[in-house]
Amino acid sequence: MEENKKVGFFQNIIWKIHKYFLTLISMFRTNIRDYGMYIALTVIFVTFGFMTNWIFLAPINFTNLLNQTAYVAVLAVGMTLIIVTRHIDLSVGYIGAFMGAWVVVAVENNGQTVLVAILGALVITIIVGIIKGYFVAKIQVPAFVVTLAGMFIFKGLLLLRTNTRYIPTTNVFFEKVGIGYLPTVEVGGFDIITVSVGVVALLALVLTGIMSRRKNNKLKIPNEKIELFVTKMIFMSGILGYLTYTFASNKGISYLLLITVVVVVVYHFMTTKTTLGRRIYAVGGNPEAAELSGISVYKITMFVFVSMGILALISGVMYASRLQNTSPNHGPFWELYAIAAAAIGGASFSGGIGKVVNAVIGAVVIMSLKNGMALSGIEANMEPIILGSVLLLAVVFDIYTRNVRPIDLVGIHFAKHRFRDDLKTAKKEFSLAKKELNHANKLNKEDILEYEYKLTNAQGTLNKLRDKIREAKEEDYTDLTTIGD
Amino acid sequence: MDQENILVMNSITKSFPGVKALDEVNIFVKKGEIHFIVGENGAGKSTLMKVLSGIYSHGHYDGDIIFDGKIRHFHGIKDSVSEGIIIINQELALFPNLTVYENVFVGHEVGKRGGLVNWDKTKELAKKFLDKVGLDVDIHRLVSSLGIGKQQLIEIAKALSQNVKLLILDEPTAALNEDDSANLLKLLVELKKQGITSIMISHKLKEVEAIADSITVLRDGKTIVRMEREEINEQEIIKNMVGREIEDIFPKRPVFKGSEVVLETVHLNSFDKQLNRYIVSDANIKLHKGEVVGLAGLMGAGRTELAHSIFGNPKKYRVTGKIIAFNKSVNLRTPKDAINKGIAYVSEDRKKDGLILLETVSQNITVANLKKISRFSILNFSKQNQYAEKYVKDIDIKTPSIFQQVGNLSGGNQQKVQVGKWLFSDPKILILDEPTRGIDVGAKYEIYTIINDLVAQGMSILIISSELPEILGMCDRIYVIAEGVQTAEFDIKDATSEKIMQSATL
Repeated sequence: MEENKKVGFFQNIIWKIHKYFLTLISMFRTNIRDYGMYIALTVIFVTFGFMTNWIFLAPINFTNLLNQTAYVAVLAVGMTLIIVTRHIDLSVGYIGAFMGAWVVVAVENNGQTVLVAILGALVITIIVGIIKGYFVAKIQVPAFVVTLAGMFIFKGLLLLRTNTRYIPTTNVFFEKVGIGYLPTVEVGGFDIITVSVGVVALLALVLTGIMSRRKNNKLKIPNEKIELFVTKMIFMSGILGYLTYTFASNKGISYLLLITVVVVVVYHFMTTKTTLGRRIYAVGGNPEAAELSGISVYKITMFVFVSMGILALISGVMYASRLQNTSPNHGPFWELYAIAAAAIGGASFSGGIGKVVNAVIGAVVIMSLKNGMALSGIEANMEPIILGSVLLLAVVFDIYTRNVRPIDLVGIHFAKHRFRDDLKTAKKEFSLAKKELNHANKLNKEDILEYEYKLTNAQGTLNKLRDKIREAKEEDYTDLTTIGD
Repeated sequence: MDQENILVMNSITKSFPGVKALDEVNIFVKKGEIHFIVGENGAGKSTLMKVLSGIYSHGHYDGDIIFDGKIRHFHGIKDSVSEGIIIINQELALFPNLTVYENVFVGHEVGKRGGLVNWDKTKELAKKFLDKVGLDVDIHRLVSSLGIGKQQLIEIAKALSQNVKLLILDEPTAALNEDDSANLLKLLVELKKQGITSIMISHKLKEVEAIADSITVLRDGKTIVRMEREEINEQEIIKNMVGREIEDIFPKRPVFKGSEVVLETVHLNSFDKQLNRYIVSDANIKLHKGEVVGLAGLMGAGRTELAHSIFGNPKKYRVTGKIIAFNKSVNLRTPKDAINKGIAYVSEDRKKDGLILLETVSQNITVANLKKISRFSILNFSKQNQYAEKYVKDIDIKTPSIFQQVGNLSGGNQQKVQVGKWLFSDPKILILDEPTRGIDVGAKYEIYTIINDLVAQGMSILIISSELPEILGMCDRIYVIAEGVQTAEFDIKDATSEKIMQSATL
């Protein structure tokens, strides 16, 4: 076999491109879990875009969609940590709504300043979080029961606080937070401030990406393959670019979006870069081991419930602000959207797994479905049915892809080339053994076991060869650097 | 084919992603014999039994299973059970909240007519089979109220009630004390007389020597040798298991000369509120600098509970008495307090309360001392990884990388990760609770070597172990605990297994 034969320039280029995509697809298939959600989101966007004559993706609707998502996204961030530590919180919907009502009523009916009202709500929500944490972590009541009780209690408190009446607000704070945008400087139909923010974010994304690769190289930590990195950067830049265009050509960056981004950035940093984050995931992964490692499961549980309460307050104020009112009808299903968002985002209910950023993407998936279906004129009653199905599918997908084998298509390409002849022979021998066994069976031969053995052996050889090809890695075939075939 | 072989497994190959667990394994078992399968952890013993019992169904492995003269294609445990192959796993498959008689017939209830169970007949038959295994208990008791030895017997009674032809026991004596183990072995010999063939997987070579008719040694997923009764001897088995000669199971270290006391408990009592009794009563133990002290005793004697009481009392017992560490009376209310005082505890059940299996080697090694890899609570990942690399190298953890999930490592390497994790917390006192349970001979030797290195550096070590040879081979001094009470103390010069057993059984 002449393997390192000279190849033409164009052939070489074509092979390089071929290899790029093979590597990319391999990485994609190996890490499908991490990208499934993005694929789903893309499919949803394109489908609804197509169905609504691209109105769905137009700046005005897209801005609106993200503003709608904000309150669920903030709840989903907190819920992820609750789920990571093996708990659940059913009370946050009504707690959020109650907190919204608390603040609005304090301002509108009791004449308090917004600051005092919010500080009051903050104190309440922290105390409530501590109580939940105490029952869950100290008394060991299942979180499901504790928070179910909380759900009933806060529904009642919401009714009491609003006096079962719809209460509108005209306070400028709620107007700013709910429907306001950051100041804009318009040039040629685009907001310069948004554009600058977009450009800075883009540069930061690319630079930190490159820097962390360099650092990893220095520390000999394996980097993701360059093909994947480049593609990822292009994809992310595209999204950032589109978002920048969307906001810049509309009204700029809304306060709702700003608050959400701040919450996500803070929580992302906390979960991935701090000792507190490590402790939360350790407790979720194995509470007994965490306790014996000097981590207080009690304190961590307390923390996640208090953090959830504070996020519920933020979420409730966002919601009340966006609608510019409070009402006894706020609250139902919020917690379930948050749980669904975390689940779609891959949080594992057996603990220890879940990323806050993915939960936010999960929230976007849910709200896109709601928004897109309304926009494309699908009957409103269908919406929960489709939402439920997507949730189930997402989790099934997650479970299915839990044990994906790593695959290296470039390696397989090389291996197939190298073992082509061996494979042919093995296949031939296998079918021969099969035929002989059938024949022997017909003749009722005495030494039938011998034929069975022969078949088993042939199958074994064939399977071994196939395994070898399936598990081939590019690194093992460095001598085949040029085109395989 | 000769008719005397009840089971032939021919050229069995089973692969998992990245590993070949079984590589053309051949074993045969003669009718009416007790056959042992031995090998280090990860040699493929359990996988082989899973192939045989149909858990890995036909088509998911290569090779043939010939049982009772026919090629068998099992698709699930039901198929193998209906042929009379019954496997009893290390983790018993009993229902703790059901009674003894219910457990014997669960899954194959008697007198089923229209879905109704004939309870009278069930009880009668249950009694019969329990008699056969020599278990004399009230059949109305809940299984959870029985000791592990008796539970084991219920499993065997259950097997007998299903017309067992081939009984497979996967490390049946791993969790039993010496008495129960001896009983079980006697029972197997008894069953053999009744024509029941058994396959046993065991790490305890004494058992093999005692009752095996033949053995097969597996190593790295391959059959190494089949040995008949007259060829069996411990040295030879070990040689075949590890593929090399091990002259000394316990590496030598200089005799302990005496030094200052680093840890002392004074009248330490621990009361378990749930069990409503004292699990540790009046423990007075001392540990010197550079000394290895053993806590011997039977399972459930209160040794782990004593260790927990010292290590910050994570199970919240009511602890009274004094703990003196480095000449100061200390109040250790949480494991964190204990860690801060330089005490580390390697737990007995590494999967349950030792490691976070989902997380990486590097995360597990650093989790007990996050301060050392962070500033102002912000983690420094390059530091984390450098330390992880260091411990992987220092104690020779065999892992593809420090980013490997700990759940994917073998038992011995998981144990080393646990040791590495605690060394990372810079302890001066290390408590090792059953440090070599369920790990193979080779890895054991490495753990012992690590212990000796640490002692040479001045660390003090408390070893809890149910294996007497380990206690006798590794310790300078030994305390014996029985039912929460410290019954004896021996210097290694005076200790013998007989003396220790005598104190351990009261």
